[in-house]
Amino acid sequence: MTYLLGWSVIPQILVRRERWPGGCKAKAVPLVHPGQEVQAHQPVIRLEGIEPIETALTAPYLSTLTVKGVPLRADSPQAQAGARERDQCPGKTLSAGLSGRVVAITRRGGVIIESHVAVLQGVIGAGNQVAGKLTMWQPPASGGGEESIPADALLIIPGPLNSTMLRQAAATGIAGIIASSISSRDLERFLHVDLVKLIDCIDVESAQARLPRLTILLTEGPGTMSMPARTIELLSQYQGSFALLSGATSIRQGIFPELVISLSATQIQQNWRPVRPDTTHSVGVQVRVCSGDHEGAIGIIDYLYAHQQEFASGIFARAARLRLEDGTLLTVPLTLIERIS
Amino acid sequence: MKKGMEMSTQPYAEGGRGPTSSSNPPSASSLLVADCGTVFTKVSLFGLVEGQYRLMARGEAPTTIAPPYEDITKGIIQAINVIEFTTGRLFISEGQIISPEQPSGDGVDAFISTISTGGPLRLVVLGAVDANLERFATQAVSGLYAQANSLPSPSQIAASAPVPVGAGALSSRGDAAGPWTPERIALEWERQKERMRELQPHVALIVGMANGPAGPAPLQEACQLLVNAARERNEQHGASSSADIAASDIASQQIAVLYAGAPQYVEAVQSMLQGTAEVTRVESLVSPAQIGPTSVAIGGLYERDIIQRVPGYNRLHSWSSSALVPTATSLSSLVRFLAQHYSMNVTAVDVGGAATTLMMAGEGGEFVPMVNCGVGVGPGVGAVLQLVGIERIARWLSFDITEDELQQYVLNRMLHPHVVPTSQRDLQINQAFAREALISTVELARANSAEWLDADLILATGGIFAHAPKYGQAALMLLDALQPRGVTSLVLDRTMLIAQLGAIATVAPIAAVQVNENDAVTHRLGTCVIPFGTMPQGEIAVRVGLEYTNGRQVTVDVMGGTIEVIPLMTNEQALLSLFPAPSVDVGLGRGERARAAEEIDGGLVGLIIDARGRPLILPDNNKLRQQRLLQWMQAIGA
Repeated sequence: MTYLLGWSVIPQILVRRERWPGGCKAKAVPLVHPGQEVQAHQPVIRLEGIEPIETALTAPYLSTLTVKGVPLRADSPQAQAGARERDQCPGKTLSAGLSGRVVAITRRGGVIIESHVAVLQGVIGAGNQVAGKLTMWQPPASGGGEESIPADALLIIPGPLNSTMLRQAAATGIAGIIASSISSRDLERFLHVDLVKLIDCIDVESAQARLPRLTILLTEGPGTMSMPARTIELLSQYQGSFALLSGATSIRQGIFPELVISLSATQIQQNWRPVRPDTTHSVGVQVRVCSGDHEGAIGIIDYLYAHQQEFASGIFARAARLRLEDGTLLTVPLTLIERIS
Repeated sequence: MKKGMEMSTQPYAEGGRGPTSSSNPPSASSLLVADCGTVFTKVSLFGLVEGQYRLMARGEAPTTIAPPYEDITKGIIQAINVIEFTTGRLFISEGQIISPEQPSGDGVDAFISTISTGGPLRLVVLGAVDANLERFATQAVSGLYAQANSLPSPSQIAASAPVPVGAGALSSRGDAAGPWTPERIALEWERQKERMRELQPHVALIVGMANGPAGPAPLQEACQLLVNAARERNEQHGASSSADIAASDIASQQIAVLYAGAPQYVEAVQSMLQGTAEVTRVESLVSPAQIGPTSVAIGGLYERDIIQRVPGYNRLHSWSSSALVPTATSLSSLVRFLAQHYSMNVTAVDVGGAATTLMMAGEGGEFVPMVNCGVGVGPGVGAVLQLVGIERIARWLSFDITEDELQQYVLNRMLHPHVVPTSQRDLQINQAFAREALISTVELARANSAEWLDADLILATGGIFAHAPKYGQAALMLLDALQPRGVTSLVLDRTMLIAQLGAIATVAPIAAVQVNENDAVTHRLGTCVIPFGTMPQGEIAVRVGLEYTNGRQVTVDVMGGTIEVIPLMTNEQALLSLFPAPSVDVGLGRGERARAAEEIDGGLVGLIIDARGRPLILPDNNKLRQQRLLQWMQAIGA
């Protein structure tokens, strides 16, 4: 099971998250106290005596990526704003990223916030926790307005990435990027690390601190898979919201990337139905194929075999028959599918 | 040459009284045994059938210690549910094991569990660590799920560095990086602090006497390093950045310290670490004689700091008739028992998701354990790749593969360890990783042990072997990775029971013996003849004569560089004669002929003659290598 909360997308759930920037040898001074209600954009931590850990990347200038028709350049105003904010070390404040109630302050000065949220969990990612505004990427030809993206944007690209796109995104100064997938080589080229080593590390804090300052979440993992419709739907719904993104991934520590978006007060008051993800496989549930030739395919369990089925490898395994989104039927081992709703 | 196991599988000497149902206490007439691995949990049901303990059913389910489940018993219950479905009996009621067995047949008399999940115990060896002490510490953890890393104190490193040739008595010591100036020592100190952060040890073993080149300073520096690490952990303590996991245990947990250094400084060390770490004194580690007690102490900490912290431990413990046994410990008990009982050298290998285990026991009481933690075919494939590199994996594949594809495979496997290979291509890659996991474990064991045993019997367990679609695939993996010599027998643990038998023996020894004979070692792959020496490529390496019990005779010439399988099926026996080429050895010396005094046993694959040579060298040429691999696979039925 890849998804710590059970499913990749959970529209409503109550969670507690520690707001902690990582990546800086800083003293964190909490600006809030337990019991206090906070808003997502509200500063909750002030960093003092920051010593940023040296990063491996010097993002090159590439000019082809555009957001809403505006070419993003390293020297563009928004990029400069992002860079400035990052460089404003003494007295820098961190916004909560979540709306909710402060429940505790950790020893290192992190602020634990309890919040009613929607959660999107990724398969793999990289980078420290950042807060920012969810901003949907618009292709240049889409005729979108000439709006600039905010410096702290969490940019949503509803498709696969490549290393060039990542470098361009980094050059714009945005805080994070959410996409479906990327080839492992491209991700390595951007991060300048051995990906296997990165996700196998024990000391997650130090490992993330050495990465470029762009937090990445990939909903589908390494490869060229596209983003499922329900994920795009959720992200579109919250476009413009302030959210908390973490890219850290560690198999050993059981840490996976996630995007946490606080629900609005109206949503909580009128429509609060917390989801308790059920991970059991039964006929009619929606699942995702997580490996093999059909990796990334979404389908509904159409039939559960009572006996083990033989696969092309010659291996026998308990299996399910799926009806994929295009109507085709596919028999897969139960261990290859993950329930997603 | 010894006969295979089937010749004398009765646990009692001839004329001795074997166990009967009446001799078994009613409290142990049925057992449920769970083996909680990193990726899968296997549960087996044993019961009495005509007075003999037999495997009645087994179930398998993913291990559930990670979120969203965070309770090891949930996976066990799922696996038990499979058994309930198969047998129509109930074993779980309201989340508890029904015990004892009810007149209706529901429930069991005993529940036993082995465990290999929860991660390895991370141990750091500090103090006046020299090469000998490092080796002793490595040997002390070799049979445990523990990873040892040494950090000799900076003053120890500086004092042990060679004095440059021609330097006067007052000259500072140094090496290629220059003399050990105070600045360099300070740098080394910083490096060690960083290393402690990376390793995040559960346990520190402080070693070294005070009469070394640096005196007692290394002991003091070890304490200082631990004090720094503890302070840093305390300051950096926070909640996990993902999901609703509580603050990582390791961050809030004190490092346990085993003090195996100079006895006269024990109080000083305790005083220095007061409030920082709990110090347990063990016998000073100065010679191989103290490896055992040190190993026992580390094993105790593994149980306390790893096993007892597994989510759901308390419930699992409440079900169990005995203490939870680490799977490797259980396997080692079995291997030693078999070696002693059958007077033969026994090697057992267990390739798991995140650990690869090799246990060798000799008829003379020799024992070589090696648990290669982190290396496996589940989440451990990443470590295998890091360890051996892409080329060593790709060399076992009969097709071309790009680095990108292999890396993609590894990442996918790490992120989704439960998946089973559905295509032939994935299966071959999976088995290539198993070979390299085993090879690296053999290399570790060889480096760590003065003695090496030629196995008379090789037992293979773990999902990669048990689920291999063809018996030949399991046999070929073993031959490629272990590279045995002479004559040996291969046995496949298709039911994945052997790693549990040692634990069963603690509660029901008779059941362990009977299950071993009746169910665990029933998949005998065959006898293997592995000539070695200088193998004449393309010429006859050995002529094999086989005289079956029905009188039929077969003679086969086996060419150097090839594998041949001569039909000798399960329950068939034959007399074996070997006529090696002058440069070839079949165990009695070069060119020496051999004729077995007793009949050899057949198996599911047959009589395997592996004349590829030792060490096994694969052709450099890619096409030729792939061609050879295909030939060998075809020959052995893989």
